[in-house]
Amino acid sequence: MLINLKKCGKLAIILVKSETMMSASDQNHPTNHDNSDEATTHFGFQTVEKNEKESKVASVFHSVAQQYDVMNDLMSFGIHRLWKRFTIDASGVRPGNKVLDLAGGTGDLTAKFSQLVGREGKVILADINSSMLNVGRDKLRDRGLVQNIEYVQANAQYLPFEDNTFDIITIAFGLRNVTDKDMALRSMYRVLKPGGRLLVLEFSKPEHELVNKAYDFYSFNILPKMGELVAKDGDSYQYLAESIRMHPDQETLKTMMDTAGFEQTSYKNLTGGVVALHKGYKF
Amino acid sequence: MFAQSLSAVLETVINQFLRYNLHGTLALKPLSEKTLTVKLAELAFPLSFTISHEKIHVTTNDEHSDCCLITSVSTLIELKKEQQLTDLIKNDKLDIQGDLKVAQRFAEITQTLDIDWQSELAKRIGDIPAYKLGRLGQNFLNKLNFVTEQIQADASEWLVHEKRLMVTGAEITHFSQNVEDVTQQVSTLSERVDQLINRASKIS
Repeated sequence: MLINLKKCGKLAIILVKSETMMSASDQNHPTNHDNSDEATTHFGFQTVEKNEKESKVASVFHSVAQQYDVMNDLMSFGIHRLWKRFTIDASGVRPGNKVLDLAGGTGDLTAKFSQLVGREGKVILADINSSMLNVGRDKLRDRGLVQNIEYVQANAQYLPFEDNTFDIITIAFGLRNVTDKDMALRSMYRVLKPGGRLLVLEFSKPEHELVNKAYDFYSFNILPKMGELVAKDGDSYQYLAESIRMHPDQETLKTMMDTAGFEQTSYKNLTGGVVALHKGYKF
Repeated sequence: MFAQSLSAVLETVINQFLRYNLHGTLALKPLSEKTLTVKLAELAFPLSFTISHEKIHVTTNDEHSDCCLITSVSTLIELKKEQQLTDLIKNDKLDIQGDLKVAQRFAEITQTLDIDWQSELAKRIGDIPAYKLGRLGQNFLNKLNFVTEQIQADASEWLVHEKRLMVTGAEITHFSQNVEDVTQQVSTLSERVDQLINRASKIS
């Protein structure tokens, strides 16, 4: 059930809280991760009530939204652009496709998809966080990208779209912030068209121990300080580092995608496994 | 990630060139939403060029393409000469799959590129410095060409006449002529031998 629907130009803000939006497939799959049957989940290294995580994550992103792009460039030394380009390349996007850029934030993927799907195609930039969505919308409009983009504020666990709607779904650096990842994956599976593909770009586990140690040092000692200095918010970047460590590793996420119903699932490690791109199809 | 780095650099350079083009992006319009994929022997991945929103987008995905060229860098350079197209295809140096017109129109875009570098520079650093820098650049290019020609001539002189490591064109022609003469003499001799063998067999 839609409990709040505002329309402002092309921005449709849809908050969906009802499980009636879920298909039968959403409800049939057992959940193996995130303690779905339990009342608690993790927020970084902390254990919090499930209903508490959403608001905590929201406050993190409300806080960092304005500096998000600058921080991304600084933290990754610009490499996040190549990771996103890799995702676009792996998507096989073509003119006329309908793409859902989930947790799309400031719209890096949407910008590229919007240009590649052409006039006949459509891109939905969806994010649960209104601040991120506003920054993304302003950025894309400033770049003249208005024709084929729609903005939807939505929770990945309860996607407010009909079954079999999208040719491609991407979620870049968003899945680890979702309270119930299994439910989100099932929701994505539901709205994906048969033949469509899901691409999950997310921080993962470095392949080599030495890289892992250097990465740990960088994440817990340098990253929060960088956040404090640039975004005036060290805590949010401390959460970023912790949430990355709590996120399932490559094989676990692949298994989660299999469980959600995706087929031919695979992943590709990028930058030594610091980031991994998971791909799965719905047939 | 090399593929993505290369495609990002190519995309930036191409679109920057198009921005500076005196004819604007008019040539892109007929190719809107069309994709040309180039598979080069030297690269392990394809490069796809898609035109959309008056820009050229470069990806390394070949799942959807209106035209695909399978070739090598050296052949791609030769492609500038249109009359060589058929020869290149016949010699298996170039394979074209899909709509040939798309490839031809992409080629037209490169031909219509006309950039006034001096005016572009003048917008940033002013007219006089741009003019002086242009002159300096031109002088440098002239000198570079002169030096290159000199080095080529000197190297040729040293290899052909001083060290005699290579032969001149005239020597090759002379040698070829000699080979032809010998071939003719051998042929005549062979005929003569055949005649003598025939005569000997009749007598015996």
